[in-house]
Amino acid sequence: MDTKKRELIDRIFKILFKSAGLLTISLLAGIFFMLFSNSILFFLKVAPIDFFTGSQWDPETNYSILPLLVSTSLVAIGSMIIAVPLGILTAAFLSEIAPAKVQMVLKPIIEMLAAIPSVAIGFLGIVLVGPGLAYVFGIQNGLNALNGSIVLAVMALPTIVTISEDAINAVPKAHREASLALGANKWETLFKVTIPAAMPGLIAAIMLGLGRALGETMTVLMATGNAAAIPKGFLDSVRTITATIAIEMGEVPYQTTHYFALFAIAALLFLISLMVNLIGEYFANNLRKFHA
Amino acid sequence: MRLLISIFFFVLYSCSNTNRTIKIKGSDTEVNLAVMMAEQFQHVNGDFLISVSGGGSGLGIASLFNGNANIANSSRRIKKGEISLFSKNNIELDSFIFAEDAIAFVVSDKMQIESISTANIAKILSGEIQNWALITGQNMPITIYGRQSNSGTFDYVKNILKIHFSQQAKQMNGNAQILEAIKADDSGFGYVSAGYVLKGNANGLKILRVFNGNAKAVSPLHAESIASGEYFFQRPLFQYYRKVDYKSIKQFLDFEKSKIGAKIIQESGYYPVNN
Repeated sequence: MDTKKRELIDRIFKILFKSAGLLTISLLAGIFFMLFSNSILFFLKVAPIDFFTGSQWDPETNYSILPLLVSTSLVAIGSMIIAVPLGILTAAFLSEIAPAKVQMVLKPIIEMLAAIPSVAIGFLGIVLVGPGLAYVFGIQNGLNALNGSIVLAVMALPTIVTISEDAINAVPKAHREASLALGANKWETLFKVTIPAAMPGLIAAIMLGLGRALGETMTVLMATGNAAAIPKGFLDSVRTITATIAIEMGEVPYQTTHYFALFAIAALLFLISLMVNLIGEYFANNLRKFHA
Repeated sequence: MRLLISIFFFVLYSCSNTNRTIKIKGSDTEVNLAVMMAEQFQHVNGDFLISVSGGGSGLGIASLFNGNANIANSSRRIKKGEISLFSKNNIELDSFIFAEDAIAFVVSDKMQIESISTANIAKILSGEIQNWALITGQNMPITIYGRQSNSGTFDYVKNILKIHFSQQAKQMNGNAQILEAIKADDSGFGYVSAGYVLKGNANGLKILRVFNGNAKAVSPLHAESIASGEYFFQRPLFQYYRKVDYKSIKQFLDFEKSKIGAKIIQESGYYPVNN
Protein backbone atom coordinates (compact mmCIF):
# COMPACT_ATOMS: atom_id res chain seq x y z
CA MET A 1 0.00 0.00 0.00
CA ASP A 2 1.43 3.38 -0.87
CA THR A 3 1.70 6.20 1.56
CA LYS A 4 -1.05 8.25 0.04
CA LYS A 5 -3.59 5.52 0.43
CA ARG A 6 -2.60 4.92 4.01
CA GLU A 7 -2.84 8.56 4.86
CA LEU A 8 -6.26 8.70 3.29
CA ILE A 9 -7.47 5.75 5.35
CA ASP A 10 -5.99 7.37 8.44
CA ARG A 11 -7.82 10.56 7.76
CA ILE A 12 -11.13 8.82 7.07
CA PHE A 13 -10.94 6.94 10.31
CA LYS A 14 -10.03 10.05 12.20
CA ILE A 15 -13.15 11.75 10.89
CA LEU A 16 -15.23 8.66 11.61
CA PHE A 17 -14.20 8.44 15.24
CA LYS A 18 -14.46 12.15 15.75
CA SER A 19 -18.00 12.24 14.40
CA ALA A 20 -19.00 9.26 16.55
CA GLY A 21 -17.78 11.14 19.61
CA LEU A 22 -19.44 14.37 18.57
CA LEU A 23 -22.69 12.56 17.87
CA THR A 24 -22.86 11.29 21.45
CA ILE A 25 -22.17 14.74 22.81
CA SER A 26 -24.76 16.34 20.55
CA LEU A 27 -27.30 13.75 21.69
CA LEU A 28 -26.69 14.80 25.28
CA ALA A 29 -26.91 18.44 24.29
CA GLY A 30 -30.16 17.76 22.45
CA ILE A 31 -31.74 16.10 25.46
CA PHE A 32 -30.50 18.91 27.66
CA PHE A 33 -31.96 21.52 25.32
CA MET A 34 -35.31 19.78 25.03
CA LEU A 35 -35.70 19.34 28.80
CA PHE A 36 -34.84 22.93 29.58
CA SER A 37 -36.72 24.64 26.77
CA ASN A 38 -39.89 22.80 27.79
CA SER A 39 -39.25 23.59 31.46
CA ILE A 40 -39.02 27.27 30.63
CA LEU A 41 -42.43 27.08 28.97
CA PHE A 42 -43.70 25.57 32.21
CA PHE A 43 -42.25 28.28 34.41
CA LEU A 44 -43.89 30.91 32.20
CA LYS A 45 -47.22 29.51 33.34
CA VAL A 46 -46.51 28.47 36.92
CA ALA A 47 -44.43 30.60 39.25
CA PRO A 48 -41.25 28.83 40.40
CA ILE A 49 -42.11 29.71 43.99
CA ASP A 50 -45.33 27.68 43.79
CA PHE A 51 -43.42 24.87 42.17
CA PHE A 52 -40.89 24.61 44.97
CA THR A 53 -42.98 25.49 48.01
CA GLY A 54 -46.50 24.09 47.52
CA SER A 55 -47.47 20.80 49.06
CA GLN A 56 -49.66 19.14 46.45
CA TRP A 57 -49.02 17.52 43.12
CA ASP A 58 -52.51 17.58 41.68
CA PRO A 59 -52.15 18.30 37.97
CA GLU A 60 -54.24 21.08 36.45
CA THR A 61 -54.63 22.81 39.83
CA ASN A 62 -51.47 22.40 41.87
CA TYR A 63 -48.01 21.74 40.56
CA SER A 64 -45.66 21.35 43.48
CA ILE A 65 -42.60 19.19 43.25
CA LEU A 66 -42.22 18.95 47.02
CA PRO A 67 -44.13 15.68 47.62
CA LEU A 68 -42.31 14.08 44.68
CA LEU A 69 -38.92 15.33 45.81
CA VAL A 70 -39.48 14.15 49.38
CA SER A 71 -40.59 10.76 48.04
CA THR A 72 -37.61 10.39 45.74
CA SER A 73 -35.17 11.32 48.51
CA LEU A 74 -36.86 9.04 51.02
CA VAL A 75 -36.70 6.01 48.74
CA ALA A 76 -33.16 6.72 47.53
CA ILE A 77 -31.75 7.35 51.01
CA GLY A 78 -33.56 4.29 52.36
CA SER A 79 -32.08 2.13 49.63
CA MET A 80 -28.59 3.46 50.42
CA ILE A 81 -29.01 2.71 54.13
CA ILE A 82 -29.62 -0.90 53.15
CA ALA A 83 -27.27 -1.25 50.19
CA VAL A 84 -24.15 0.61 51.39
CA PRO A 85 -23.22 -1.51 54.44
CA LEU A 86 -24.23 -4.66 52.61
CA GLY A 87 -22.33 -3.72 49.46
CA ILE A 88 -19.12 -2.57 51.14
CA LEU A 89 -18.97 -5.55 53.47
CA THR A 90 -19.58 -7.89 50.54
CA ALA A 91 -16.81 -6.18 48.61
CA ALA A 92 -14.45 -6.44 51.60
CA PHE A 93 -15.29 -10.10 51.97
CA LEU A 94 -14.74 -10.75 48.27
CA SER A 95 -11.38 -9.04 48.01
CA GLU A 96 -9.85 -9.66 51.45
CA ILE A 97 -11.29 -12.78 53.01
CA ALA A 98 -12.86 -15.10 50.47
CA PRO A 99 -10.61 -17.80 48.99
CA ALA A 100 -9.88 -17.30 45.30
CA LYS A 101 -12.30 -20.06 44.27
CA VAL A 102 -15.25 -18.59 46.19
CA GLN A 103 -14.44 -15.19 44.78
CA MET A 104 -14.45 -16.55 41.24
CA VAL A 105 -17.94 -17.95 41.74
CA LEU A 106 -19.45 -15.14 43.80
CA LYS A 107 -18.38 -12.13 41.77
CA PRO A 108 -20.10 -13.07 38.52
CA ILE A 109 -23.21 -14.03 40.48
CA ILE A 110 -23.39 -10.62 42.11
CA GLU A 111 -22.80 -8.93 38.79
CA MET A 112 -25.62 -10.97 37.35
CA LEU A 113 -28.01 -9.08 39.64
CA ALA A 114 -27.51 -6.13 37.31
CA ALA A 115 -28.86 -8.17 34.41
CA ILE A 116 -32.28 -8.79 35.95
CA PRO A 117 -34.84 -6.57 34.20
CA SER A 118 -36.25 -3.88 36.48
CA VAL A 119 -39.82 -5.00 35.76
CA ALA A 120 -39.01 -8.41 37.19
CA ILE A 121 -37.63 -6.86 40.37
CA GLY A 122 -40.66 -4.58 40.58
CA PHE A 123 -42.91 -7.59 40.27
CA LEU A 124 -41.07 -9.24 43.17
CA GLY A 125 -41.76 -6.03 45.09
CA ILE A 126 -45.49 -6.49 44.52
CA VAL A 127 -45.86 -10.22 45.11
CA LEU A 128 -43.07 -10.96 47.60
CA VAL A 129 -41.75 -7.92 49.47
CA GLY A 130 -45.16 -6.20 49.71
CA PRO A 131 -47.08 -9.02 51.43
CA GLY A 132 -43.97 -9.72 53.54
CA LEU A 133 -43.85 -6.16 54.84
CA ALA A 134 -47.61 -6.15 55.43
CA TYR A 135 -47.23 -9.29 57.55
CA VAL A 136 -44.19 -8.07 59.52
CA PHE A 137 -45.57 -4.62 60.31
CA GLY A 138 -49.21 -5.65 60.61
CA ILE A 139 -50.37 -3.17 57.97
CA GLN A 140 -52.92 -3.63 55.21
CA ASN A 141 -50.52 -3.58 52.30
CA GLY A 142 -46.82 -3.39 51.67
CA LEU A 143 -46.74 -0.92 48.80
CA ASN A 144 -44.72 1.82 50.48
CA ALA A 145 -41.39 3.62 50.63
CA LEU A 146 -39.71 0.78 52.51
CA ASN A 147 -40.67 -1.68 49.80
CA GLY A 148 -39.22 0.69 47.18
CA SER A 149 -36.02 1.06 49.21
CA ILE A 150 -35.56 -2.69 49.48
CA VAL A 151 -36.02 -3.39 45.79
CA LEU A 152 -33.82 -0.43 44.83
CA ALA A 153 -31.13 -1.64 47.23
CA VAL A 154 -31.09 -4.92 45.32
CA MET A 155 -30.67 -3.00 42.06
CA ALA A 156 -27.91 -0.73 43.37
CA LEU A 157 -25.94 -3.58 44.96
CA PRO A 158 -24.05 -4.79 41.88
CA THR A 159 -22.79 -1.25 41.14
CA ILE A 160 -21.70 -0.69 44.72
CA VAL A 161 -20.09 -4.10 45.15
CA THR A 162 -18.14 -4.02 41.88
CA ILE A 163 -16.72 -0.53 42.30
CA SER A 164 -16.00 -0.96 46.03
CA GLU A 165 -14.20 -4.20 45.31
CA ASP A 166 -12.01 -2.51 42.72
CA ALA A 167 -11.28 0.25 45.21
CA ILE A 168 -10.34 -2.14 48.01
CA ASN A 169 -8.27 -4.26 45.65
CA ALA A 170 -6.39 -1.20 44.51
CA VAL A 171 -5.09 -0.36 48.00
CA PRO A 172 -1.33 -1.12 47.79
CA LYS A 173 -0.24 -4.32 49.48
CA ALA A 174 2.39 -2.38 51.43
CA HIS A 175 -0.37 -0.73 53.50
CA ARG A 176 -1.67 -4.07 54.72
CA GLU A 177 1.76 -5.53 55.27
CA ALA A 178 2.84 -2.52 57.31
CA SER A 179 -0.28 -2.78 59.45
CA LEU A 180 0.16 -6.50 60.05
CA ALA A 181 3.86 -5.98 60.84
CA LEU A 182 2.89 -3.48 63.52
CA GLY A 183 0.92 -6.21 65.23
CA ALA A 184 -2.60 -5.40 64.04
CA ASN A 185 -4.76 -8.42 63.34
CA LYS A 186 -6.71 -9.08 60.14
CA TRP A 187 -9.86 -7.23 61.27
CA GLU A 188 -8.02 -4.17 62.51
CA THR A 189 -6.12 -4.06 59.24
CA LEU A 190 -9.34 -4.30 57.23
CA PHE A 191 -11.35 -1.70 59.15
CA LYS A 192 -8.62 0.72 60.20
CA VAL A 193 -6.25 0.60 57.25
CA THR A 194 -7.63 -0.94 54.07
CA ILE A 195 -11.16 0.50 54.07
CA PRO A 196 -10.09 4.05 55.06
CA ALA A 197 -7.43 3.94 52.34
CA ALA A 198 -10.06 2.89 49.80
CA MET A 199 -12.49 5.61 50.95
CA PRO A 200 -12.50 7.79 47.80
CA GLY A 201 -13.35 4.73 45.74
CA LEU A 202 -16.04 3.71 48.20
CA ILE A 203 -17.62 7.16 48.00
CA ALA A 204 -17.57 6.90 44.22
CA ALA A 205 -19.28 3.52 44.51
CA ILE A 206 -21.97 4.93 46.81
CA MET A 207 -22.60 7.93 44.56
CA LEU A 208 -22.94 5.81 41.43
CA GLY A 209 -25.24 3.45 43.32
CA LEU A 210 -27.28 6.44 44.45
CA GLY A 211 -27.48 7.65 40.85
CA ARG A 212 -28.89 4.27 39.89
CA ALA A 213 -31.47 4.45 42.69
CA LEU A 214 -32.54 8.01 41.81
CA GLY A 215 -33.12 7.28 38.15
CA GLU A 216 -34.80 3.91 38.45
CA THR A 217 -38.40 4.02 37.29
CA MET A 218 -40.20 0.76 36.75
CA THR A 219 -39.36 -0.89 40.07
CA VAL A 220 -40.38 2.08 42.21
CA LEU A 221 -43.45 2.62 40.09
CA MET A 222 -44.57 -0.92 40.85
CA ALA A 223 -43.44 -1.20 44.46
CA THR A 224 -44.24 2.10 46.13
CA GLY A 225 -47.99 2.54 45.63
CA ASN A 226 -47.72 6.05 44.16
CA ALA A 227 -49.85 8.12 46.51
CA ALA A 228 -49.12 11.79 45.94
CA ALA A 229 -49.44 12.92 49.56
CA ILE A 230 -46.23 13.94 51.34
CA PRO A 231 -45.06 10.78 53.14
CA LYS A 232 -44.68 10.83 56.92
CA GLY A 233 -42.48 7.77 57.17
CA PHE A 234 -41.15 4.67 55.46
CA LEU A 235 -44.47 2.88 55.78
CA ASP A 236 -46.34 5.49 53.74
CA SER A 237 -46.96 5.22 50.03
CA VAL A 238 -44.72 7.51 48.01
CA ARG A 239 -44.63 8.76 44.45
CA THR A 240 -41.17 9.44 43.07
CA ILE A 241 -40.31 11.87 40.27
CA THR A 242 -39.52 9.06 37.85
CA ALA A 243 -42.76 7.21 38.59
CA THR A 244 -44.79 10.39 38.13
CA ILE A 245 -43.30 10.97 34.70
CA ALA A 246 -43.82 7.36 33.67
CA ILE A 247 -47.40 7.23 34.91
CA GLU A 248 -48.56 10.54 33.51
CA MET A 249 -46.65 10.96 30.25
CA GLY A 250 -48.85 8.53 28.32
CA GLU A 251 -52.13 10.25 28.97
CA VAL A 252 -51.18 13.88 29.30
CA PRO A 253 -52.73 16.26 26.75
CA TYR A 254 -50.07 17.40 24.31
CA GLN A 255 -48.38 20.77 24.95
CA THR A 256 -50.37 21.79 27.97
CA THR A 257 -49.09 23.08 31.31
CA HIS A 258 -49.23 19.57 32.67
CA TYR A 259 -47.15 18.30 29.76
CA PHE A 260 -44.51 20.96 30.34
CA ALA A 261 -44.63 20.29 34.08
CA LEU A 262 -43.44 16.74 33.46
CA PHE A 263 -40.45 18.15 31.58
CA ALA A 264 -39.74 20.52 34.44
CA ILE A 265 -39.59 17.75 37.02
CA ALA A 266 -37.53 15.66 34.61
CA ALA A 267 -35.07 18.55 34.27
CA LEU A 268 -34.77 18.81 38.03
CA LEU A 269 -34.17 15.08 38.33
CA PHE A 270 -31.58 15.36 35.57
CA LEU A 271 -29.74 18.07 37.51
CA ILE A 272 -29.82 16.04 40.72
CA SER A 273 -28.52 12.85 39.16
CA LEU A 274 -25.95 14.79 37.12
CA MET A 275 -24.64 16.25 40.36
CA VAL A 276 -24.53 12.88 42.09
CA ASN A 277 -22.75 11.32 39.14
CA LEU A 278 -20.24 14.17 38.92
CA ILE A 279 -19.38 13.75 42.61
CA GLY A 280 -18.99 10.01 42.00
CA GLU A 281 -16.75 10.61 38.97
CA TYR A 282 -14.67 13.14 40.89
CA PHE A 283 -13.86 10.63 43.61
CA ALA A 284 -13.32 7.86 41.10
CA ASN A 285 -10.76 10.03 39.26
CA ASN A 286 -9.03 10.89 42.53
CA LEU A 287 -8.68 7.21 43.19
CA ARG A 288 -7.05 6.64 39.82
CA LYS A 289 -4.57 9.46 40.40
CA PHE A 290 -3.80 8.19 43.87
CA HIS A 291 -2.81 4.76 42.66
CA ALA A 292 -1.18 5.73 39.40
CA MET B 1 -22.16 -8.16 0.01
CA ARG B 2 -24.05 -7.55 -3.21
CA LEU B 3 -26.66 -10.01 -2.01
CA LEU B 4 -26.93 -8.20 1.29
CA ILE B 5 -27.51 -4.90 -0.44
CA SER B 6 -30.19 -6.34 -2.66
CA ILE B 7 -31.91 -7.88 0.37
CA PHE B 8 -31.72 -4.53 2.08
CA PHE B 9 -33.43 -2.80 -0.80
CA PHE B 10 -35.99 -5.54 -1.01
CA VAL B 11 -36.83 -5.02 2.65
CA LEU B 12 -36.99 -1.28 2.14
CA TYR B 13 -39.25 -1.78 -0.83
CA SER B 14 -41.61 -4.08 1.02
CA CYS B 15 -41.89 -1.50 3.78
CA SER B 16 -43.29 0.99 1.38
CA ASN B 17 -45.95 -1.53 0.58
CA THR B 18 -48.84 -1.13 -1.75
CA ASN B 19 -51.23 -2.21 1.04
CA ARG B 20 -53.18 0.48 2.77
CA THR B 21 -51.96 1.08 6.29
CA ILE B 22 -53.99 2.30 9.22
CA LYS B 23 -52.18 3.21 12.41
CA ILE B 24 -54.19 3.21 15.63
CA LYS B 25 -52.74 4.56 18.84
CA GLY B 26 -53.98 5.55 22.25
CA SER B 27 -55.93 4.49 25.29
CA ASP B 28 -54.79 1.43 27.19
CA THR B 29 -58.40 0.62 28.01
CA GLU B 30 -59.21 0.25 24.35
CA VAL B 31 -56.03 -1.34 23.10
CA ASN B 32 -57.03 -5.00 23.59
CA LEU B 33 -60.33 -4.44 21.89
CA ALA B 34 -58.74 -2.56 19.00
CA VAL B 35 -56.24 -5.38 18.46
CA MET B 36 -59.04 -7.97 18.28
CA MET B 37 -60.91 -5.72 15.90
CA ALA B 38 -57.88 -5.26 13.65
CA GLU B 39 -57.12 -8.99 13.52
CA GLN B 40 -60.67 -9.90 12.52
CA PHE B 41 -60.81 -7.09 10.00
CA GLN B 42 -57.64 -8.30 8.30
CA HIS B 43 -59.20 -11.75 7.88
CA VAL B 44 -62.09 -10.20 6.02
CA ASN B 45 -60.13 -7.56 4.19
CA GLY B 46 -56.58 -8.53 3.34
CA ASP B 47 -55.67 -5.25 1.60
CA PHE B 48 -55.29 -3.41 4.86
CA LEU B 49 -52.39 -3.40 7.24
CA ILE B 50 -53.49 -2.25 10.65
CA SER B 51 -51.09 -1.56 13.48
CA VAL B 52 -52.42 -0.98 16.95
CA SER B 53 -50.53 0.32 19.95
CA GLY B 54 -51.41 1.63 23.40
CA GLY B 55 -49.66 4.28 25.44
CA GLY B 56 -52.57 6.31 26.70
CA SER B 57 -55.33 8.58 25.44
CA GLY B 58 -53.10 11.66 25.49
CA LEU B 59 -50.40 9.94 23.47
CA GLY B 60 -53.00 8.82 20.94
CA ILE B 61 -54.29 12.34 20.39
CA ALA B 62 -50.76 13.75 20.25
CA SER B 63 -49.87 11.13 17.62
CA LEU B 64 -52.92 12.04 15.62
CA PHE B 65 -51.77 15.65 15.75
CA ASN B 66 -48.23 14.75 14.69
CA GLY B 67 -49.47 12.53 11.91
CA ASN B 68 -48.10 9.36 13.49
CA ALA B 69 -51.53 7.83 13.78
CA ASN B 70 -54.65 7.73 11.65
CA ILE B 71 -56.99 6.90 14.49
CA ALA B 72 -56.58 7.97 18.11
CA ASN B 73 -58.27 5.79 20.69
CA SER B 74 -59.36 7.86 23.63
CA SER B 75 -61.26 6.82 26.71
CA ARG B 76 -61.97 10.47 27.48
CA ARG B 77 -63.48 13.30 25.50
CA ILE B 78 -60.86 15.44 23.77
CA LYS B 79 -59.87 18.41 25.94
CA LYS B 80 -60.23 22.08 25.09
CA GLY B 81 -56.49 22.59 24.96
CA GLU B 82 -56.14 19.76 22.48
CA ILE B 83 -58.97 21.02 20.28
CA SER B 84 -57.37 24.44 20.04
CA LEU B 85 -54.08 22.81 19.08
CA PHE B 86 -55.80 21.12 16.13
CA SER B 87 -57.78 24.16 15.08
CA LYS B 88 -54.68 26.36 15.21
CA ASN B 89 -53.14 24.11 12.59
CA ASN B 90 -56.36 23.91 10.56
CA ILE B 91 -56.85 20.24 11.11
CA GLU B 92 -60.47 19.21 11.15
CA LEU B 93 -61.34 16.42 13.54
CA ASP B 94 -64.14 13.97 13.68
CA SER B 95 -64.97 11.41 16.29
CA PHE B 96 -66.71 8.13 16.52
CA ILE B 97 -67.99 6.36 19.63
CA PHE B 98 -67.19 2.77 18.95
CA ALA B 99 -68.14 1.11 22.21
CA GLU B 100 -69.25 1.72 25.74
CA ASP B 101 -67.40 0.73 28.81
CA ALA B 102 -68.64 0.23 32.35
CA ILE B 103 -66.44 1.03 35.32
CA ALA B 104 -66.48 -1.66 37.96
CA PHE B 105 -65.81 -1.01 41.63
CA VAL B 106 -63.87 -3.83 43.15
CA VAL B 107 -63.07 -5.03 46.67
CA SER B 108 -61.51 -8.15 48.12
CA ASP B 109 -63.88 -11.10 48.41
CA LYS B 110 -63.27 -11.08 52.19
CA MET B 111 -65.27 -7.85 52.54
CA GLN B 112 -68.86 -8.21 53.79
CA ILE B 113 -70.39 -5.97 51.18
CA GLU B 114 -72.33 -6.67 48.01
CA SER B 115 -73.49 -3.30 46.81
CA ILE B 116 -72.57 0.31 47.39
CA SER B 117 -74.22 3.66 46.80
CA THR B 118 -72.74 6.32 44.54
CA ALA B 119 -72.75 8.70 47.51
CA ASN B 120 -70.54 6.34 49.50
CA ILE B 121 -68.21 5.84 46.53
CA ALA B 122 -67.77 9.60 46.33
CA LYS B 123 -67.05 9.82 50.07
CA ILE B 124 -64.49 7.03 49.93
CA LEU B 125 -62.67 8.33 46.88
CA SER B 126 -62.51 11.88 48.18
CA GLY B 127 -61.11 10.65 51.49
CA GLU B 128 -64.11 11.68 53.56
CA ILE B 129 -64.64 8.13 54.78
CA GLN B 130 -61.35 6.44 55.61
CA ASN B 131 -62.52 3.35 57.46
CA TRP B 132 -64.70 0.45 56.40
CA ALA B 133 -66.45 0.54 59.82
CA LEU B 134 -68.93 3.14 58.58
CA ILE B 135 -69.89 1.03 55.58
CA THR B 136 -69.52 -2.65 56.38
CA GLY B 137 -68.89 -2.60 60.13
CA GLN B 138 -65.42 -4.10 59.69
CA ASN B 139 -62.86 -1.93 61.45
CA MET B 140 -60.24 -1.59 58.74
CA PRO B 141 -58.74 1.45 57.05
CA ILE B 142 -59.71 1.85 53.40
CA THR B 143 -56.90 1.74 50.86
CA ILE B 144 -57.86 3.29 47.55
CA TYR B 145 -56.32 1.89 44.38
CA GLY B 146 -56.93 4.03 41.36
CA ARG B 147 -55.51 5.24 38.11
CA GLN B 148 -53.16 8.11 37.41
CA SER B 149 -54.54 11.62 37.34
CA ASN B 150 -54.63 11.91 33.57
CA SER B 151 -56.04 8.54 32.61
CA GLY B 152 -59.42 8.64 30.97
CA THR B 153 -60.81 6.42 33.73
CA PHE B 154 -59.65 8.75 36.51
CA ASP B 155 -61.01 11.78 34.70
CA TYR B 156 -64.35 10.14 34.14
CA VAL B 157 -64.85 9.02 37.74
CA LYS B 158 -63.73 12.39 39.07
CA ASN B 159 -66.09 14.34 36.84
CA ILE B 160 -69.18 12.22 37.21
CA LEU B 161 -68.93 12.17 41.02
CA LYS B 162 -67.79 15.81 41.12
CA ILE B 163 -65.08 15.10 43.68
CA HIS B 164 -61.43 15.80 44.31
CA PHE B 165 -59.52 12.59 44.73
CA SER B 166 -57.89 11.89 48.10
CA GLN B 167 -54.15 12.51 48.07
CA GLN B 168 -53.79 9.19 49.89
CA ALA B 169 -55.12 7.24 46.92
CA LYS B 170 -52.54 4.93 45.45
CA GLN B 171 -52.13 5.37 41.73
CA MET B 172 -51.44 2.22 39.81
CA ASN B 173 -50.16 2.04 36.30
CA GLY B 174 -52.99 0.21 34.65
CA ASN B 175 -56.09 -1.82 35.35
CA ALA B 176 -54.32 -5.14 35.85
CA GLN B 177 -52.08 -3.76 38.58
CA ILE B 178 -55.09 -2.44 40.49
CA LEU B 179 -56.62 -5.92 40.50
CA GLU B 180 -53.35 -7.54 41.64
CA ALA B 181 -53.08 -5.05 44.49
CA ILE B 182 -56.64 -5.60 45.72
CA LYS B 183 -56.20 -9.37 45.61
CA ALA B 184 -53.32 -8.93 48.04
CA ASP B 185 -54.94 -6.25 50.20
CA ASP B 186 -58.19 -7.08 52.01
CA SER B 187 -58.86 -3.42 52.75
CA GLY B 188 -58.50 -2.32 49.14
CA PHE B 189 -61.09 -0.43 47.13
CA GLY B 190 -60.49 0.19 43.47
CA TYR B 191 -62.03 0.93 40.12
CA VAL B 192 -61.24 -0.70 36.81
CA SER B 193 -62.70 -0.98 33.37
CA ALA B 194 -65.25 -3.84 33.46
CA GLY B 195 -63.50 -5.62 30.59
CA TYR B 196 -60.70 -6.49 33.01
CA VAL B 197 -62.82 -8.44 35.49
CA LEU B 198 -64.29 -10.94 33.06
CA LYS B 199 -63.52 -14.62 32.68
CA GLY B 200 -61.85 -15.75 35.87
CA ASN B 201 -59.91 -12.54 36.33
CA ALA B 202 -62.09 -11.90 39.32
CA ASN B 203 -60.75 -14.71 41.55
CA GLY B 204 -60.36 -13.35 45.06
CA LEU B 205 -62.27 -10.21 44.12
CA LYS B 206 -65.79 -9.00 44.53
CA ILE B 207 -67.38 -6.75 41.95
CA LEU B 208 -69.79 -4.43 43.71
CA ARG B 209 -73.25 -3.64 42.47
CA VAL B 210 -73.86 0.07 42.40
CA PHE B 211 -77.00 2.05 43.17
CA ASN B 212 -77.72 5.72 42.84
CA GLY B 213 -80.17 7.14 45.35
CA ASN B 214 -83.10 4.73 45.70
CA ALA B 215 -82.68 2.95 42.40
CA LYS B 216 -81.92 -0.75 42.46
CA ALA B 217 -78.34 -1.94 42.57
CA VAL B 218 -76.91 -2.86 39.17
CA SER B 219 -73.88 -4.97 38.32
CA PRO B 220 -71.43 -3.59 35.75
CA LEU B 221 -71.29 -7.05 34.20
CA HIS B 222 -75.01 -7.19 33.44
CA ALA B 223 -75.24 -6.51 29.72
CA GLU B 224 -78.95 -5.65 29.56
CA SER B 225 -78.65 -3.00 32.27
CA ILE B 226 -75.78 -1.38 30.44
CA ALA B 227 -77.70 -1.44 27.18
CA SER B 228 -80.61 0.33 28.83
CA GLY B 229 -78.27 2.79 30.50
CA GLU B 230 -79.18 1.80 34.06
CA TYR B 231 -75.63 1.41 35.34
CA PHE B 232 -74.34 4.68 36.77
CA PHE B 233 -70.71 4.47 35.66
CA GLN B 234 -70.78 3.83 31.95
CA ARG B 235 -68.88 5.91 29.48
CA PRO B 236 -68.27 6.14 25.76
CA LEU B 237 -64.97 5.06 24.22
CA PHE B 238 -63.92 7.39 21.46
CA GLN B 239 -61.96 7.13 18.28
CA TYR B 240 -60.73 10.42 16.85
CA TYR B 241 -59.51 10.87 13.29
CA ARG B 242 -58.72 13.64 10.83
CA LYS B 243 -61.62 14.44 8.54
CA VAL B 244 -59.41 14.17 5.46
CA ASP B 245 -58.57 10.58 6.42
CA TYR B 246 -62.16 9.47 6.58
CA LYS B 247 -62.25 7.87 3.13
CA SER B 248 -59.19 5.73 3.74
CA ILE B 249 -60.37 4.40 7.09
CA LYS B 250 -64.07 4.20 6.33
CA GLN B 251 -64.04 0.46 5.70
CA PHE B 252 -62.50 -0.18 9.09
CA LEU B 253 -64.95 2.08 10.90
CA ASP B 254 -67.83 0.40 9.12
CA PHE B 255 -66.50 -2.96 10.22
CA GLU B 256 -66.50 -1.77 13.82
CA LYS B 257 -70.14 -0.81 13.50
CA SER B 258 -71.10 -4.09 11.84
CA LYS B 259 -72.63 -7.12 13.55
CA ILE B 260 -69.27 -8.91 13.68
CA GLY B 261 -67.79 -5.81 15.25
CA ALA B 262 -70.52 -5.73 17.88
CA LYS B 263 -69.82 -9.37 18.69
CA ILE B 264 -66.12 -8.71 19.17
CA ILE B 265 -66.94 -5.78 21.44
CA GLN B 266 -69.18 -7.95 23.59
CA GLU B 267 -66.65 -10.75 23.79
CA SER B 268 -64.00 -8.34 25.02
CA GLY B 269 -66.21 -7.21 27.88
CA TYR B 270 -67.40 -3.92 26.41
CA TYR B 271 -70.77 -2.89 25.08
CA PRO B 272 -71.69 -1.98 21.53
CA VAL B 273 -73.37 1.36 21.08
CA ASN B 274 -76.97 1.13 19.96
CA ASN B 275 -77.50 3.58 17.18
